[in-house]
Amino acid sequence: MRALLVASALLAQASCQPRGDVGYVEIRTVPVLTNVAGPTLYLDTFKVEPPKKGNAVLTQRVGTIKLATDGAGGQLLLCEIAVKKNRITTVTISVLERPPRCQCRNNGANRVCVS
Amino acid sequence: MIRRLAIRRLETGRRVAAALLLAAILPFSAASAQTPSQPDALTPVEEFSKQLEAFKKTIPDLNKKIEDSAASVDRWTDVGKARKEIEELRAIVGAALGAVTDNGAVSTLGTQALNHARTKLRALEQDTRFKPEEKQFLVDQWRRLREETERATEELGAARKEFAELLRTLQSNEDFIDELIQIRQAQKALEVIQRLTKDIRDASDQLKRLIGGIKPPGA
Repeated sequence: MRALLVASALLAQASCQPRGDVGYVEIRTVPVLTNVAGPTLYLDTFKVEPPKKGNAVLTQRVGTIKLATDGAGGQLLLCEIAVKKNRITTVTISVLERPPRCQCRNNGANRVCVS
Repeated sequence: MIRRLAIRRLETGRRVAAALLLAAILPFSAASAQTPSQPDALTPVEEFSKQLEAFKKTIPDLNKKIEDSAASVDRWTDVGKARKEIEELRAIVGAALGAVTDNGAVSTLGTQALNHARTKLRALEQDTRFKPEEKQFLVDQWRRLREETERATEELGAARKEFAELLRTLQSNEDFIDELIQIRQAQKALEVIQRLTKDIRDASDQLKRLIGGIKPPGA
């Protein structure tokens, strides 16, 4: 039973982990919210767990991904993030603004955040 | 001059890498000294502990690989080779960062272990099956486990931050080297244009001399 639990937990993790060439996305939220729940964020279709202490680093498949939040008529695109192999792309989300605003550490063409 | 600048930049990167890595290792060694063995712990906590130990074991190897690669970058003045070395370093640091990212295996297990310890503690506090002293013993054990798991996940957070910073340092070094390569290529292009201009000027002079030498019949 115990082995089954461990196996299922590892299987669940393996299915969440991006495979192949990967890069990293760092999401910073400002200000750091401690008692209030921040906006729900999505990387493409995956829901991002609320960043702990205003900072989350996530492994992502190489390519361009969409960072979105919940809007009135569904998901609202905040910005696009270019993920490159073994590189980190940092995005800061200003959560007090409505809708939240995306600030890229480095800007590429067409307002895509780059590493 | 450009090469010297590149090397200086890489040396700075290497020192930063070593310092950051040391900072990443120290909390882990401190944690392993504090953590006693937990034979009675349940699956998520045990599994997290096992994964964390495995990750900690990879740190000395990682440190050596970074040191070796950084040393060879220092020896080379060839920007192409230096860029390749930095790419390799990024792959090493990227792998370490991948293990501790928020959606990585160790962090996910850490969250699960912490949730399990908290749930278990809440359930035990309301449990009426045991004698008060037995219940107190179990609650104390789970409190200790919860606190240690909290500390371990915080240390993972610190490692995550440091590896991310290290990767950024390597990226900026690589970007700097890329800029140096672009300067060198622009310099080569300029030399080609200068040579071409000189050739055209020489041809023009020859043509002028030729035209100047032409005398109309009867002149």
